[in-house]
Amino acid sequence: MSDGAGATAPKPSSSVKLVLLGEAAVGKSSLVLRFVNNDFQPNKEPTIGAAFLTQKCQLPNRTIKFEIWDTAGQERFASLAPMYYRNAQSALVVYDITKPSSLVKAKHWVAELQRQASPGIVIALVGNKLDLCEDDNAEAEQADAENETEEEPSTARKVSTKEAKAYADEESLLFFETSAKTGHNVSEVFTAIANAIPETSLKGPRSGAGGGTQAAISAGQDNNRVNLNARGEAGPKEGCAC
Amino acid sequence: MESLNDTQWDVVISGTGLPQSLLALALSRSGKKILHVDRNDYYGGDEAALSLSEADEWAKKHASEPTDTTSTFSHASIAQAPTDGEPGKGKLGHSRGYSLALAPQLLHSKSSLLPALVSSKTNDQLEFQAVGSWFLVNTPPDGSASQAKLTRVPGGREDVFQDATLDLKAKRSLMKFLRFVVNYEEQGDTWEEYRDKPFSSLLEDKFGLVPASHPPILALALSTKSSTDTPSKFAVPRVAKYLTSIGVFGPGFGAVLPKWGGLAEIGQVACRACAVGGGVYVLGKGISEVQQNDDSDMKIYLTDGEVVSSKWLAGVPQDLTHSLSAIQSPEPDVWMTKSISIVSSPLASLFPPTSEGGVTPAGAVIVVQPVDTAEPPVHVFAHSSESGECPKDQCILYASSARADAQGFGVLNHAVEALLQSVGESTEPQVLWSMHYRQRYTSTHDAPSTSDSVITLQSLSPDLAFDDGTLGNVRLAWQRITDGDQEAFLKFEAREGTMEDDELT
Repeated sequence: MSDGAGATAPKPSSSVKLVLLGEAAVGKSSLVLRFVNNDFQPNKEPTIGAAFLTQKCQLPNRTIKFEIWDTAGQERFASLAPMYYRNAQSALVVYDITKPSSLVKAKHWVAELQRQASPGIVIALVGNKLDLCEDDNAEAEQADAENETEEEPSTARKVSTKEAKAYADEESLLFFETSAKTGHNVSEVFTAIANAIPETSLKGPRSGAGGGTQAAISAGQDNNRVNLNARGEAGPKEGCAC
Repeated sequence: MESLNDTQWDVVISGTGLPQSLLALALSRSGKKILHVDRNDYYGGDEAALSLSEADEWAKKHASEPTDTTSTFSHASIAQAPTDGEPGKGKLGHSRGYSLALAPQLLHSKSSLLPALVSSKTNDQLEFQAVGSWFLVNTPPDGSASQAKLTRVPGGREDVFQDATLDLKAKRSLMKFLRFVVNYEEQGDTWEEYRDKPFSSLLEDKFGLVPASHPPILALALSTKSSTDTPSKFAVPRVAKYLTSIGVFGPGFGAVLPKWGGLAEIGQVACRACAVGGGVYVLGKGISEVQQNDDSDMKIYLTDGEVVSSKWLAGVPQDLTHSLSAIQSPEPDVWMTKSISIVSSPLASLFPPTSEGGVTPAGAVIVVQPVDTAEPPVHVFAHSSESGECPKDQCILYASSARADAQGFGVLNHAVEALLQSVGESTEPQVLWSMHYRQRYTSTHDAPSTSDSVITLQSLSPDLAFDDGTLGNVRLAWQRITDGDQEAFLKFEAREGTMEDDELT
């Protein structure tokens, strides 16, 4: 999966804050679970409030550590999201391809992100539950698992790829159709986001470009970040003025 | 669950300023049902960070004279340099490219908040940067900004030795003072009689330091008062705290700032942690009335008319006005005049590396000396674009002075101008945008007070450095609500699914 490429030499590593948004029950948490643990729970209970998870994504020349904020889609008061997309470098807006209303909600989220989030935020639009639409899901290995739940899988799709893709293109969003259940396209979404993050907006712990000085770039270190875990035992004595 | 009153809340927290948010963080693993509301439609309260358009709105809202005794901000106004499209001249960036801090307080490296953020596992969602150099700006007696001089404050013993402006005798006196101050607690007899006297008299009488050498030492105390009004009992511990903070997180600096808009970011991370723990967040709702009952939970009326019931209610005094009418503040309010300026230059010379191979600071402290020593100084916190508060090639200057008179804004402007003229750039940096305002600080009791189930948290003090008392006050509130052991305050295990940050160097 995402972290399969066993890196031998240490690569520059950067943290990327990612927020998941979307209507309730579209599979936001399941996407994260698939990405982070390569696991799937068929009847996952709704997320309460929010969840925070991390996962690394290996790119050829760097490691991206995703700090994933998974928000509750059924959140009643619409007050949570602003604190998650504040300073987020990327957002994953999820809808359910069997539920047109969820795309409407997704479009609201995209508009809100474009209005309120950081100017350079990378947004991916993701249509989830591809496994419920057997007809356009060519992957043979997925066929068995699906039929048990849906009576008419071939008609389950309610949002066409073409429609969603056209919208995504118009708004300059990355676009994927995924199945958290089978894992189809899941790691691809995160890898695409990782690739789309401008290098200049990457931050520590070992970010290169965010460092701001030549020395920082060449050393692959974020030269601004103070590491609170490195609280020196001998520090105060050594540094103090006497 | 469609409405808030379907739940029997354990704790309702009013306002998302830093003290309330730290309480939310402290309670985030308690299993208590928490409703966290804010009457504003943004997070952060008095410690918010604002984009340019949010600042516009904020300034309009706080433009007037203080309307009643509870309004914190007043006299807010925004000035923008005319954009004449002159080539080479800096331009304002995108509104959301700015994150202007209403609370740009620095944190001493020895602040108790920092280990609390580490033990509560919130540290890895925060980024701290160094506040590196300290400077003095002296204006000549005629007060003209063009003659202002910028000097760096020696940051420790080595700096003192290398300082060419000090003669040997002055160096000796200074070293004697530095040796004293870092162990001041054990040397009561040296300075006991000076506790209530001006710090400068201690420096002069006990250490033979001539008045000209006082300003750099006073600068380290970050006293908002004039030198004659700064007693030793304030300045000595403060200078000691700074000096003993140097080196805690790396050589050459003794204070840090949170990236992305000052203390606002800590509050946000704290609220997020509470939300992950199941806390419910609602913006745009305040508390309008509280009805306490002897035998059941209190009824809390929200500003939109909704009524919720809860065992506890916590907030800062401004958020609890309707339940706190009886509280009389023992001390008069303190006013600060403040400004935030966006500057058309990165002012890189204010942010030299903290040490060879050390971190590049994102913050600097500049103390602009008043011509009249009876006047309070102006403090300017400079934040580079690395703080995430402005686009590259610009920086932010946060100026403040402990006054509330009609001259206040002029004094701040003059100080910023003196700094920009003395910083030694070939083309003088311009202020592209600035916001001025006054802020009131109401002193509160030391302990969270009042009735059985309404907990008053202290608002932040006018201090320019984060006051650890805030955290202590939150801990008392947390103990009242949870009956918890104070040793367990803000100590959490990592949550499932988050890896320990093994890659920090």
